[in-house]
Amino acid sequence: MIVKDAVCPFCGCLCDDIEVEVEEGRVIAVTNACELGTKKFMGEERLKGPILRDGNEWKDITCEEAIRYAADMLLSAERPLLYGWSGTHGEAQCVGVHMAELVRGVIDNTSSVCHGPSILAIQEVGHPGCTLGVVKNRADLVIYWGSNPIDAHPRHLSRYTRYAEGFFLENAFRDRKVIVIDVRKTETANIADEFVQIKPGGDYAVLSALRAIVQGKTETIPRTVAGVTREQLVRVANLCKGAKFGAVYFGLGLTMTRGKYKNIRNAIELVSELSRHTKFTISAMRGHYNVYGSNEVNTWMTGYPFGIDFSRGIAFYNPGETTAVDILARKECDAALIVGSDPAAHFPRRCLEHLAEIPVVQLDPYPNATTAFCNVQIPVAVTGIDAEGTAYRMDGVPIRTRRVLSTDYPSDREVLSRMYALMQEAKGQ
Amino acid sequence: MTFLMITGRTVNQGVTVEHKTSAAYAEETSTCFMHEFDMLELGLADRDTVRVTGPSGEVVMRASASVEVEMGTVFVPYGPYANHIVAADTHSTGMPDFKSHEVEIEPTDEEPKRVHELMEDLGGLAYDR
Repeated sequence: MIVKDAVCPFCGCLCDDIEVEVEEGRVIAVTNACELGTKKFMGEERLKGPILRDGNEWKDITCEEAIRYAADMLLSAERPLLYGWSGTHGEAQCVGVHMAELVRGVIDNTSSVCHGPSILAIQEVGHPGCTLGVVKNRADLVIYWGSNPIDAHPRHLSRYTRYAEGFFLENAFRDRKVIVIDVRKTETANIADEFVQIKPGGDYAVLSALRAIVQGKTETIPRTVAGVTREQLVRVANLCKGAKFGAVYFGLGLTMTRGKYKNIRNAIELVSELSRHTKFTISAMRGHYNVYGSNEVNTWMTGYPFGIDFSRGIAFYNPGETTAVDILARKECDAALIVGSDPAAHFPRRCLEHLAEIPVVQLDPYPNATTAFCNVQIPVAVTGIDAEGTAYRMDGVPIRTRRVLSTDYPSDREVLSRMYALMQEAKGQ
Repeated sequence: MTFLMITGRTVNQGVTVEHKTSAAYAEETSTCFMHEFDMLELGLADRDTVRVTGPSGEVVMRASASVEVEMGTVFVPYGPYANHIVAADTHSTGMPDFKSHEVEIEPTDEEPKRVHELMEDLGGLAYDR
């Protein structure tokens, strides 16, 4: 059986033109997806059933027992952390927020360690963004700043920018210029029309210099700014001002370096400045599948996009205090529910040392690094492969994802709903 | 020698990310991409092992020459090896300095640990050894 127009469950591009060939309950071929998506669709070696850590051994347990364990863990915790959520659908994320509120816990998603700082900047100065389709059809200048789509979002270039056709561009490949700005000469830099190499930590200064040039204050710019010559900065500023429609896509090169959200704020303000001369937009290269959806769901339910603390009985948000890395590093939470992410592979060591000391339940189809810190792991259907639901693309467009396989694994939503029902019952609701 | 350590996505990290117990994932995320001249200075051949010391500890990786990194900078794919030495401070933003850590690098005879071993060192219990 061939499933057409399946939605890829890997990155925030959510490519929706994938063909998946299924035979005897297994994916045997994938067409149109990049290497990352293909591997994800073809994934095997799932955990067979729920497991429980018993001293220095692992025991198989039933799904009922595992769900009961998780519900009891969250109910008896004083400050539970509910973390992850980017690898699952909006429907499951909704249940997660309800659970966090019921037990007065903290719910945070993986954006706190990816584009959380971008959201902080957007909260300060707004988001002049647009959908990917607008960029594809209109943009004659695209800037990738601190982002390497060839490795992280391989089809972004072919579907929307460098190699894409554009409705309002006669010859998109010739008429659309691509500028890459990075500290490394990445593969993406190699296919750019102009590569601007910045010394590490110099993004903020280069953004400020470009703003000054766009404002007509070129004489204030020194001969080099963070390793970039004044001539190149002027050339880039002129390319931007001369474009009919420009789009900036920025990656973790801006959010994970010193300066964090201030880098993004400066980038957004450069785009505002450019929009006095022409049309310019800016958007984040969201990495982890439905991470955008997790921000959306949290925001419409609580008013805040991530790092939401219900301990006061109301939603409270203070990144740096109510975010997962900080809560774990301060050894503050006394239980953790992990859904759709793998913090043990992606968090600093100090956070893992605390995970080892508290009860942890994880919902994940595969044994991963976090499994080692789990008391219980419940294997679930892979979101977007054998579970369907709603996911948000990196530009904020919600897409109904389809199921390409049928398995006996329950979805995240089913497991969480059963957990939540037990918790409501215990709370007498 | 002191280097700036940058972490980030690579295709190989991405294709192995759902198989964290695999040798391929361990190999990719324990690779320290360096400038050829820096390797020469440290007397390193390709795939030699190095001890990388950061603010919260040390970890053994394999050096690999890359034309993408500048001298004085090293690049390590996202994963448990880099995070073994990254500090948890977020400067009140929620985000650690994943791309701006100073590390010390020296040659070593030790072999990189497996992902399981790193997790067990921190108090975990590997499931799928």
